[in-house]
Amino acid sequence: MERFTVKAIQNMLSEKQISATELFDLYRSRIADYDQSLNAFITSDIQPNAAYMTDDQDQESPIDFALTGIPYAAKDIFCTQGIKTTCGSKMLENFIPPYDATVVRRLKTQGAVLLGKTNMDEFAMGSSSETSYFGSVHNPWDIERTPGGSSGGSAAAVAAGLTPIALGTDTGGSIRQPAAFTGITGLKPTYGRCSRYGMVAFASSLDQAGILALSAEDTAIFLESMAGFDPLDSTSVEESVPQYSQYLEENIKGKIIGLPKEFFDGSLGSAYEALIAESIDSYKKLGIVFKEISLPNIGYSVPTYYVVAPAECSSNLARYDGVRFGYRSQNIEDLDEFYRTNRQIGFGQEVKRRIITGTYVLSTGYYDAYYLKAQKVRQLINQDFARAFESVDIILGPTTQTAAFKLGEKIDDPVSMYMNDMYTISANLAGLPAISHPIGFVENLPYGLQLIAPHFKELDLLSLTHQYQKVTDWHQAVPRLLQSSEGND
Amino acid sequence: MTITKSDIEHICGLSKLNLDDDEVPIYLQQMTDILEMIEQLQSADTNEIIPMAHPLDMHQRLREDIVTETNHRDIYQKNSSHVEEGFYKVPKVIE
Repeated sequence: MERFTVKAIQNMLSEKQISATELFDLYRSRIADYDQSLNAFITSDIQPNAAYMTDDQDQESPIDFALTGIPYAAKDIFCTQGIKTTCGSKMLENFIPPYDATVVRRLKTQGAVLLGKTNMDEFAMGSSSETSYFGSVHNPWDIERTPGGSSGGSAAAVAAGLTPIALGTDTGGSIRQPAAFTGITGLKPTYGRCSRYGMVAFASSLDQAGILALSAEDTAIFLESMAGFDPLDSTSVEESVPQYSQYLEENIKGKIIGLPKEFFDGSLGSAYEALIAESIDSYKKLGIVFKEISLPNIGYSVPTYYVVAPAECSSNLARYDGVRFGYRSQNIEDLDEFYRTNRQIGFGQEVKRRIITGTYVLSTGYYDAYYLKAQKVRQLINQDFARAFESVDIILGPTTQTAAFKLGEKIDDPVSMYMNDMYTISANLAGLPAISHPIGFVENLPYGLQLIAPHFKELDLLSLTHQYQKVTDWHQAVPRLLQSSEGND
Repeated sequence: MTITKSDIEHICGLSKLNLDDDEVPIYLQQMTDILEMIEQLQSADTNEIIPMAHPLDMHQRLREDIVTETNHRDIYQKNSSHVEEGFYKVPKVIE
């Protein structure tokens, strides 16, 4: 079973080797055949918009839009008009948004076709896609393992060839970590690069929409259609959007990549260190120069995040009271009890844990010691990056400490689960763009490497990754789930 | 910082969240672990550091004060099962 890239699909469609309808049906039947073992999708029975299925063989008109007929999946955190959007939660089990998220609307305008809504950790809170009300997602490389989270459904679907590309969100690593665990490419753009309008809010100063794809090239193709100023998002930035896909071959020789000594302190297992060393060699052969740097406060990333993110989450999730939308209990006569019960039943454990943590750190008597302190440490981390970028163009590090862990391994130990994010969180705290791409295997499980760039330098991340992917083939390795299938589609 | 059962109850009051009685000890233990992890922040030297609320140096943008939305109440109220004559129904608030 072949995994088609977006680039390949564009060629197949323009050369009329396949029609948009045939392509859509192909992916629809793959989901039907394989998703039972992955549980990557929450909704997959969406009817394609006929206007974008320009598959009439008699039509002479050229394909007009950048993404005409390209199927994609969207994490179930993006509002999709008329299509259930659950955020992986009982609270929104039956919520049907009356509008599209801006990024969804932009992709629609460019002709892309929504295949389905993918499974995720509840309200994007988690690193394993195990907190979903709709059941855990499984990793196509080993179905007893997690694909990572919270965009695990999107990652598993792309890795398994059930969709060529998918949208995710990344608040503390939720695109990059699943990309690393499933052997694909995942990009978190600069904060403010992509609109958050219609993207259900978890932590408003950290959340960012992004892409999970089979290659940097595919990522670039989608990013140029999604990104850009949106007047409906007050945190959206008026920065022009380059045509990323046209500049992937730009000259990268002489670019300087910084290696933070705090990321390479000997705590990574030797097999993982070896893969990173190999990829550094590959980058050196492409003309990249490496330099040791220091991010002295980076060790505070996880505690900083686990004050700031829960604080913002406790505020953002206050809207779920069961009155205008969301889970509502019956036959409760007291208003306070009504709110409390709706939220007790509607939310899962991790969400409740984060609401409790967030409320605590914002409450009277604790605000200064926790929330204000965390915001100051956030500034320290931000300053470390700014200082580092004075002497390097990009920063390189691991995406994760290990390859994918087993389902059930960490779910009862929140702090152990939180430590998963140790390499990815700092980019969210500083609002920096970051990408993860596959660099090899440890015991048959994929492993990824992370590149972090200054604000709005997504092109550097994409061109470096693209040129790495031209001289390596880790990103083309196909999970066992597909290898054992004998379909000839 | 030790967190107690009555702290949890207070927080649940603030955040309008009920917990099952048998869940409370589990949350208490987990919150203790989380707070212990967060305590690491206290060793950071943040003297004269300005708190960072937003990742980019931006001003809050304002828009023109003109009407841009029209009434879509019927569409928006489709997501509630308890609507009557355009009102959302809730348990009685006023005696």
